[in-house]
Amino acid sequence: MDNEIVSILKSKFPESILSSVSEDKRIYLLVKREEFYQILSQLKEMGFDHLSDVTCVDMLAQGEFELIYHLWSHTKKIRGIVKTRIPRESPTIKSIVDLWIGAQIHEREGHELFGIRFEGNPNLMPLFLEDWEEIPPFRKDFDIREYVKREYYGEDKGYFGQG
Amino acid sequence: MSIFRPAAIMRNLFKKPMTLQFPYEALPPVEGYRGRHLLDLEKCTGCPVCSLACPNKAIELVKVGEEEKEGKKVEKKYPQIHLGKCCFCGLCEEYCPRDAIHMTQEAMISIMDKSQAIYSPDKLSQPVG
Amino acid sequence: MERTRDILAKDELEEREISFTTIPFGPQHPASGHFHASVKCVGEEVVELTPYPGYLHRGFERLMEYRNHAQNTMLCDRICVLDPFSNEMGYVNVVEKASGIEAPQRGKFIRTIMAELGRILSHITWIGIISMALGLDSGTRIAWGDREKIIRLNELATGGRIYPCYFIPGGVRRDFPEGFKEEILKVLDYIENQMKLYDNLVFYNTTFTMRLENVGILRAEDAVALGITGPNLRASGIATDVRKDEPYDAYPYVDFKVVFKGKGDAYSRALCRRGEIIESISIVRQLLEKIPEGDFRVKWGLTKKVPSGEAYFCCEAARGELCFHMVSDGTERPYRVKVRGPSFSHTLAGFPHLAKGVYIADIPAIYWSLDPCPADMDR
Repeated sequence: MDNEIVSILKSKFPESILSSVSEDKRIYLLVKREEFYQILSQLKEMGFDHLSDVTCVDMLAQGEFELIYHLWSHTKKIRGIVKTRIPRESPTIKSIVDLWIGAQIHEREGHELFGIRFEGNPNLMPLFLEDWEEIPPFRKDFDIREYVKREYYGEDKGYFGQG
Repeated sequence: MSIFRPAAIMRNLFKKPMTLQFPYEALPPVEGYRGRHLLDLEKCTGCPVCSLACPNKAIELVKVGEEEKEGKKVEKKYPQIHLGKCCFCGLCEEYCPRDAIHMTQEAMISIMDKSQAIYSPDKLSQPVG
Repeated sequence: MERTRDILAKDELEEREISFTTIPFGPQHPASGHFHASVKCVGEEVVELTPYPGYLHRGFERLMEYRNHAQNTMLCDRICVLDPFSNEMGYVNVVEKASGIEAPQRGKFIRTIMAELGRILSHITWIGIISMALGLDSGTRIAWGDREKIIRLNELATGGRIYPCYFIPGGVRRDFPEGFKEEILKVLDYIENQMKLYDNLVFYNTTFTMRLENVGILRAEDAVALGITGPNLRASGIATDVRKDEPYDAYPYVDFKVVFKGKGDAYSRALCRRGEIIESISIVRQLLEKIPEGDFRVKWGLTKKVPSGEAYFCCEAARGELCFHMVSDGTERPYRVKVRGPSFSHTLAGFPHLAKGVYIADIPAIYWSLDPCPADMDR
């Protein structure tokens, strides 16, 4: 049954699917950035109605961000994992709020912590951090230890640095 | 459904309460509880495994003296624990290769002054009670 | 006076010179917990609710990149304090999947027993908190006393009351002590007996039913579009449970029903949780009869390296679907860990949707019927 879904997708989008793996109850797809929205909407029509999560991974060595979309189908009981890559210098991608309205809050978190712009998302205000002036904190080139020492354990910072 | 239940009221009036009056009575301690540490100075050799296992960097090895070993002077090091940073997870006890550090049942270790939170090797090796 | 939900356009409101009042449902509130929301209302009716999360944001996903896998299980307890075993279960399974090892049978059974006891603990805590929010203080006092029995079991088995730090990749850290099986059976008998008291005092009490029936109705298609899982989704009619669909650890060896109701209001959500307590008691009894002897762990070294690759694992926490995605680069520290907490979607997407057009007095009832954990939401 998995191979059926993957083969239908491969026949409709022959250029875009770079690699795929099918297991018992799971399918993994690596797709190109250009047609990923159409692939996700095709998956939604095929029964993947629940979006669990939108994950971002910072691949510093390759100069890219990897975005991972986790889907689940309540009727077929299969998990689908779709990955795509975007360049690190200008990270923008189309938002999937029209397909799943619950994606709005996951994309807002991705914007705050990684700095990725999701075009079409109605509200990208900061979620957890207030008055944050540094680079987005979950990127790999943000040095946490240096930040903590400077802000909380500096010479003028009294109580925290003792004991 | 009526809320007036005279049988339940009489039963609850004479039942023992669920709470204990704390400083005068306490729950009996349990074997295997993760409380304050106890260090065995005979078994400890100063290898830094407990310091590497601690997730919060609360254990630091300090020099206590020097000793002669095979004709050379070697530093003798023992662990010192900052109980303010410790989260009592027990990983130091689990990964110690010589079973030298144990967690006792002592949980009443509150202090008023933060400088007393660092326990030197001598203080750690004193038994509790 | 017309209901404001019948007035759709904002211009119309301004024309009629109706002014909005904004009230904080704040972090310092007897019915709120560590969560701040700002409620915009006209008279007694809510027009819009805006949540402001972030009081408990500790940045666990970034902290885990600096520690190795044995140390990270200590951090996982603190992601959701009310239900610590589910988080440890998720992390430990994802590391085992990425490194290709498997825990022995006795280790899996012990993990499942402790996870189900943790689920009962979480639901009893929920009974206490929702009673406090609705004004039935007796329910809170009795629930907090019953919690103590299960926390005492945690202490006997693991050494820690609220933060057990018990699971480790490859199994569990210690075996059950002598006579532990009898202790568990005594506590289960006590809780089964207490359920009659909870039925009279809380679940079938007129105050409770009047405040929760037909309030906060969540339809099935809205719930699926918003990303809601767990007992909240099962109360709207969709019977999805990760323990049945993708069983892990010792769940293939037990037999249990998935509790679901059809109506979708706050009272159905409460009854779903009551049904889950009873099913969990039956699961623990079946596991205690079938538990095998033997090894309980495969030794995991402090600096053991995980081969590079990634793994993804989902488990069923007391609040919903909890997922861990881990990327490893071949060293002993993970490259990236992503935790999908169930309360993230419930509170930030589900609660504003349900709070449109209700009275102010219904807000705590709807909020606590979704059983949110702010620690889970912020991580």
